[in-house]
Amino acid sequence: MKKKTKQVVLIALSALAGLATSCNNGNCPGNSNAIPLAEFYQDGSSVIINNLTVYGIGAPGDSLILDEASASSVYMPLHISTGNCCYVLDYNTEGLEADTIKLEYDAIPYFESHECGAMFNFRITGIEYTLNAIDSIAITRTLINNDDVASIKIYMQ
Amino acid sequence: MMRSKIYMVMCIVAAVLINTAQAQEPQRKVTPVKPSTNKVLTPPKGTDEKVIEQYLSGDSTQARAQEIKDSLARIYPHYPTLTELGLGLNFSDALLMAFGQKYSSFDISATLNMWNRLQPVLVVGLGRAKDTSDDMNFTYTGRLSPYLKLGANYNFLFKKEPRYQLYAGVRLGLSTFKYSITDVSVNNSYWGEGNYSYDLRNIGSHALWGELLLGLKVGIAGNWSLGWEAKFHNLFSYKKSDNGKPWYIPGFGTRGSKWAFGISAYYTIPLSRDRWPAVDDKNKIKKAARQHNATQ
Repeated sequence: MKKKTKQVVLIALSALAGLATSCNNGNCPGNSNAIPLAEFYQDGSSVIINNLTVYGIGAPGDSLILDEASASSVYMPLHISTGNCCYVLDYNTEGLEADTIKLEYDAIPYFESHECGAMFNFRITGIEYTLNAIDSIAITRTLINNDDVASIKIYMQ
Repeated sequence: MMRSKIYMVMCIVAAVLINTAQAQEPQRKVTPVKPSTNKVLTPPKGTDEKVIEQYLSGDSTQARAQEIKDSLARIYPHYPTLTELGLGLNFSDALLMAFGQKYSSFDISATLNMWNRLQPVLVVGLGRAKDTSDDMNFTYTGRLSPYLKLGANYNFLFKKEPRYQLYAGVRLGLSTFKYSITDVSVNNSYWGEGNYSYDLRNIGSHALWGELLLGLKVGIAGNWSLGWEAKFHNLFSYKKSDNGKPWYIPGFGTRGSKWAFGISAYYTIPLSRDRWPAVDDKNKIKKAARQHNATQ
């Protein structure tokens, strides 16, 4: 092999090595789990609810999602195996009872990508809620995947 | 007396009219002829007989134009329509796997070199993937699946020997394949569902993509050559399922990638070898080029 050809081969192999090491996986563009995001609205615009406590009924250790916090939105993780779950929204205000929201859904095993991994997507099939401080609830996206966007709009009275 | 005055006035008027009329007519120009213009051009030695006839007939301008055209034709070696057939083996993924790549494609290609310029290409290959990342919650298995690429190259070094080629190319790729996602472990910590697991097996998919590439091919020994290709590729379409999207596409690489690199070894079979420009024609070609440049 001529000297020039050898040089070309070496350069090409070096470039190849560089390419291989630089082709690492990027980060997951969305969330690593599919969790519905609920946003609060009042009079048609986004609103912050103060002193709000949110938890799921039956969650181990009565763990809280929000603990007397101010929030304009809240992630509501879904129970995979049961197909439904209930949440309590406690406003911690005298004379105002807590609201309960029940979501029904199908869990769908889903491989999003190498970067995000395998997860469950959910398709919401039904919703029930009380009307103590809630006026109405709209499901804007029935398919819950790892996109970081709101799927539930909770309109307050 | 009076009559003679009238004659004089009439003569003056007539003279003025004649002068005016002459001034309106375009003046005839006379260009002197140089003696050298009339010299008969003689054709150089070795000129084609047809051109010589044209010289002899007096149409030296046409003959000169034909001569320049012929000398241009002599500058570029003309390869036959079917110049050679190249058979290639792409082994770049074998090298990349040594650097930790979790998938591989191997293909063979057939390249028909026409006029040492245009090269239709057919590529067939097989690809597979297997990845169990430590930091991920799944094992991805792409079953060994076929792919096909069709396209063409344009060799920019068509004036040189086919042993050395710098080319640009386009490809259209197609693959049908199956993949599995196994050993999935999903941790739903809020509801206490630790390590909820499932498997997704034999998900069918297909993909169609296009490639733009730039390549270099260098003869190394006898009929053997090495080739390097840098490719920009883009997926036109692929089949998603209710349970996910493929990560690896045979012949394409990972779904989100835009660039790829290839190394191939080629064995070339010359076709119509007797019609190739002879190696000793090179000097003639160079001489013709020098003559052509001198006449410009």
